[in-house]
Order: sequence, then structure tokens, then C-alpha cells
Amino acid sequence: MASSISRRHFLKGSALGAGLLIVPRHVLGGPDQTPPSRKLGGALIGCGGRGGGTFGELSRMHGRGNDAKAPFTVERLADCDVRFADRADNKRTYTDFRRVVERKDIDLVAIGTPPHWHALISIAAMEAGKDVISEKPMTRFIAEGRAVVTAAHRYGRIFQVGTFSRYGESRQARNIQIHKAFMAGLIPKSDVVLHRKGGFKVKEWSGLVNVQPQPVPRNLDWDMYCGPSPLRPYHPHRVGGTHRGYWDYEGGGLTDMGQHHLDGLHWVYGRDMTSPVSSEPYAPPAHPEACGLWGWVEHTYADGLTLIIESGEWGKPYDRKQGKGINLDTLDEETKKKLAALPNPEPLVPFAEAVVTRRQGEGNDPESFHRTATILHLTNIAIRVGRKINYDPVKEQIVGDDEANRLVNQPMRAPWHL
Amino acid sequence: MPASEELKALLDKMPAVDQRGMFTDRYAPEQPRKDPKEAPDPAKEKERRETAERVMREQGMDKERIDAAIAEIQKMGRDGVLGLIDLLVPPGGGDDVKPHYALHALAIAVCKIEDKEPRQVFSEAVASQLGGTRPKGVQAYLCQELGVAGGKEVAPALGKLLTDEELCDWAIRSLVAIGDGAAEQLRAALPNATGKCRLAIIQNLGVVKDEKSVDALKAAAADQDREIRLAALWGLANIGDPGSVDLLLKAADAEPGWERIQATKACLMLAEKLLANRKDDAVKIYTRLRDTRTDPSEKYVKDAAEKAIASAK
Repeated sequence: MASSISRRHFLKGSALGAGLLIVPRHVLGGPDQTPPSRKLGGALIGCGGRGGGTFGELSRMHGRGNDAKAPFTVERLADCDVRFADRADNKRTYTDFRRVVERKDIDLVAIGTPPHWHALISIAAMEAGKDVISEKPMTRFIAEGRAVVTAAHRYGRIFQVGTFSRYGESRQARNIQIHKAFMAGLIPKSDVVLHRKGGFKVKEWSGLVNVQPQPVPRNLDWDMYCGPSPLRPYHPHRVGGTHRGYWDYEGGGLTDMGQHHLDGLHWVYGRDMTSPVSSEPYAPPAHPEACGLWGWVEHTYADGLTLIIESGEWGKPYDRKQGKGINLDTLDEETKKKLAALPNPEPLVPFAEAVVTRRQGEGNDPESFHRTATILHLTNIAIRVGRKINYDPVKEQIVGDDEANRLVNQPMRAPWHL
Repeated sequence: MPASEELKALLDKMPAVDQRGMFTDRYAPEQPRKDPKEAPDPAKEKERRETAERVMREQGMDKERIDAAIAEIQKMGRDGVLGLIDLLVPPGGGDDVKPHYALHALAIAVCKIEDKEPRQVFSEAVASQLGGTRPKGVQAYLCQELGVAGGKEVAPALGKLLTDEELCDWAIRSLVAIGDGAAEQLRAALPNATGKCRLAIIQNLGVVKDEKSVDALKAAAADQDREIRLAALWGLANIGDPGSVDLLLKAADAEPGWERIQATKACLMLAEKLLANRKDDAVKIYTRLRDTRTDPSEKYVKDAAEKAIASAK
């Protein structure tokens, strides 16, 4: 009987709360055995600097209090990294993530690779029935994000990104009211001006502009490392943290840090289901391969809200609009009543809980993370093409500029595709 | 065409590589002190700052200076483009930092101009240098830049590279980025393509949703090479070919593993595309998946199929 009932199927029917964590042993495990539902198989794909931390997130209970324990333990069954070329045994260590996701004993996947692999591996893992936590940024370009969202819905999988600023922001009373007001459409026109300056590590994560090829190290599968990105001559600066400085793998310090800085703000101002309609840059001409300096990008949303992302590391400071928040006290009485009548949103659901309940809830779902990443990509597109772009947030296309639109869905190197 | 003296003078206005090997304006960093706790020498600090500011104005990422120089190069038309290309070297072949950057900045600049002619002049000049004797590493870069600024007019030039093992990937990705004219070139190249070029062509016929390639993709779905098979199956699904339902369902009966996972994905993709206008075919796909995914490890597919069937009613 136990073998014919999957642990997921059983847990799906369980109620939320302490009772959820107790699974009758006679159903799912013999005497003196840890019920299988309490232990899940995990894999880490991308075992570099962030890898261990990302794997730990599989069972963290963000937002549920310091004493909250995950409803399961995760056994780390597989490590996969393209730098294991000289020691992969395809039993515990791998270089090819496809061999990892094929395994039936893997339930959860943590992804700590460079970003050009985040979407493809997330999608592959979900296609194989796994739930996924990915490092930020969620994606390298906009169309990848839509593909991840589609895969999560198609297969009913849990997907989250390892950023947590929205947990703190979403618990503050004032933020909750602002969030409700925007999400309920009570503020159809907004003159809010949000200005995020600094913290993007632009110079720190720039790329070399005169990269001289070097021999590929024995332990590195360079073809697999490049994956969907162009197969360029190897150079150590393109690997291991400094990969952040290249358009092929990331988008500079902006995409490395941006999802942290913008995620909470995104939730507060109800931007999780939309994107800007225009993005205007102030930056020098970008290098074709290496991420570099930029000044600021001014994003405008359809409802009038402005978001300025400024590096603070190049050029003249932004001086067009003054930052301006929202004062809910200035809403008219009828709107205030409507706002007061709205229920507060459910607390964000951490990954471990979502795995068990199969509910991600609003605000911590793939769409939300995709929309935050989209701002970063629109910022970089504007910087790279050096001109104002107009964006359709529903069709997710740049309007009236075919050349800029090519950066929305960037062709991949075979055999990789979305 | 060799670069003229005028062009070389304009290239001197491109940014210089800083002490980090980057364009990050780090031209005169603070010198290390013997005792880090010791305060920096004010006079030396002032000199350092002034030097850095001067170098930055003359050689750093000064937008106005760079934009102005690029605008002058753009006015040189085809000669300017060919002069820049003549200065390019393949990776590891020397220092071409400034012409490499200038060519890209020019590609961006011509796309900003409302008049389409400058962009066309640029892309035709670049395309004219493909397939000849220029080093492959240079041609790869030229393909990349055509993906930035090229239009349909350069599709034939890119098409000539689709069977070149070193250049096919570069050419194909730029062709697909351009879009217009891509399918025709891919289709024409397929019969003579082998190896990774053949795989890339088959995959990208699916990316561009070329309905005229359905028969070729169906044939490729039976290829000995697994990557070819999977690319073809995915391509047929992405095209949304209703005549591929049975073929995809059969492929999805593969043994457990990556191929089965991917073939199943192709089935689900096809079903989603057929749902609006060929509901019976879509439900057929979902029903088959529901009925065949009986192993607990594939319950998620069964659940997805059941949910889709319920929604289709």
C-alpha cells in the first residue's frame, strides 16, 4: 500500500498547520523508519560560491519565525558542476544536469550556476517533476522568465528565487496597505517616483575588454559551461564570480544585485503582475561583450509610477524628478473605506512550505520573480541599445524597435532552447 | 579597405583600456602605502585625482566624446565600416580593442537613426566581408554585429555560412535574431548540413516555426542522433503541427529518462497550441499521457494532463 501512494499525493490532502507535519507511519513508513515524506532527495546544480547557501534554502522557512522548522529534511544526493569534468562519477557527482534531473530519487533542485543557465535548468528540473529554488537573477533575458513561469504552471511545480527582501517588506503595516491599494486598482494613476541609487556593484562586476584566449583547464567542461551562450575562447575571467561581467552569462552588477534591491519594493508597489512601458537610459555606448559603466535608467509604468535605477558610479547624477512616495492619508474618503474593507494579503509562503502544501500563494510565485527580473533586463536593454525603448508588458515585447526587441528573446546555441 | 588616417584619428577617441583591463575609468588608482593606517599624502592625492580626471576626459568613458567620434565614422559610410573591419583581429591575434568597440558602437548608432539607409549601408558593408579570406574569428564577430543591426538584406550572406562548422552557430543565431528571411536560408542549407550545423539548423527551423519544414522535421524525428530527434520533436511542437500528434505521442513512450521527459514536453506544448482550434487532438494527447503515466514518479504528468482535460471541457 505504501508504495502505491506517493508522498506528494498524500500531503496534498493534508491541512495547513502542525498537523501537516505528522504523517502516519503505517501509511508511509514501517516501524522505526523516518517516514519517507519527512525526507526528500535534493540536488545542487552549480556548486560554486553560492551553491551551499542555495541548497540550504530548500528547507528554510522564511517568514515563519526563527524557530520554524521545515516539514522535511533534504538529503543532498547529487552535486553537479561543469568544473567536475575530471572527477564526475555520474552517481554522486555530475557535469551534466540532465543526468541529475532524470533521477527518480531527486525531488528538489537548487540551482547555483551562473545566470545563463538558471532558466534552462529550472525548466528541465520542473519538466522532470522537481521543485526548484534558483539563485538570482532568475534569468538572463526576458523570454526566459516567461518560459519558466509557463513550465511551473504546466507541470504544477514550485519555483522560487533565492531573494528574501520581500519577506521583510511584506510584513510592515504601511507597506501592506500600499500593496493592497495598488493591487486592488484603488490608485489608477500614480505620481510616485521611486529612486534606487547605488549598491549595484557596477565597476566591481565589469568585464575585460581585451580577453586573450587561454587553455581550458582540465577540470572544466567549457562547452557545457557556455551552454546556450556563444562558445567563445576560454578565459578565466569568464568563470567563477567574474562571469558577472559578461553579457553572455549575466548583466553586470545590476542583475547580480538588482533582484535583491528591487524585489521588496516591487511587492510593496504592486508591480508583480506588470512591467514598465518605457525605459530611458543615460549611459555611454556599451561594449559588445563586457558589461561596463552606466548612469541611470528611468522606467515609467502605465499608471504613471516612475522607477529610477541609478548606479552612482558614472556620469552626472539623475536630476529629472524628485523621489516621491505615497501618502495614503491623502486618498479620498471613499477610497479609504474601500481600502479598509480589503483583507490583508496572506503572508508569503516560503519554499519548504509550498513544497508540502503545493500552494505558492500570491507574491512569492514565478510571475512575481519574473517581473522583477524583467526590470533588470529592460534596464540593460536600454543601456545596451543606448536609446529609450517602449515595452508592451502584456505581450512582453519592445514596441517599434525591432533591433532592441532582439534582446528580449536571444537565440541560444544548439542543442539548448527554451 | 585599409583604415584611413582620418578613421584612425577618430579611433583614438575611443576609450582606453584602464588598469583593470576594463572600461571602468580606473586610470590612476591610489598607490599602495607602506603603512595603511597612514593618511594619504594630500599633494599626491590631488595629483592622482587630477591625472585621473584628465585621462578620463581624454580616454575614458566620456559619452559625448565617444558619440561624436562614432557619428563622424558613421558619415564615412561604407568606407568607415570596411576600415574598421580591416583593423579587427581574431581572439588572441593582437590588440583591436578600439576598432572592436567602435564597430559595435556604430552598429548601435545606426539603429538609432530614423532614416533606414545608414543601417542598411552598415549591415551590407559588414555582410560583404563574410565568406571570404578574413579570419574565422573576425567573421564570427561580424556575424554577431549583424545580429545587432542587420536586416533581411543580409540573410543570404549569413546563409552562406550555415554549413561552416566554425561559423554556423554565429550565423544562425544572428539570422534568427533578424527573423525576416531566416527560414528560407535554414531550409536551403539543411540538405548539405552535417554535424552540429545540422542540429542547429533543425532546431532553429523549429524556433522560427517554419511550417514548410514540417516534413523535414518529421524525418529528423527518427534520426539516430538523440539531439537531432529531440530538436525535431520540439520543433514540430513549437510549429503546432496537427499532423505530428501520433508521432510525438509515440516518441513520448521512450524509456524513462531525458528523452521521455523532453518528448512528453513536446506533447504538452503541442496540445496547448492545438487546444483552441483542434480540441479533439489536444484532448487525445492529454488522455494518452494521463493513461500512460502510471508510475508514481510521473504522477505530476498525469496530474497535469487531468487538469488540462478538465479545463478543456
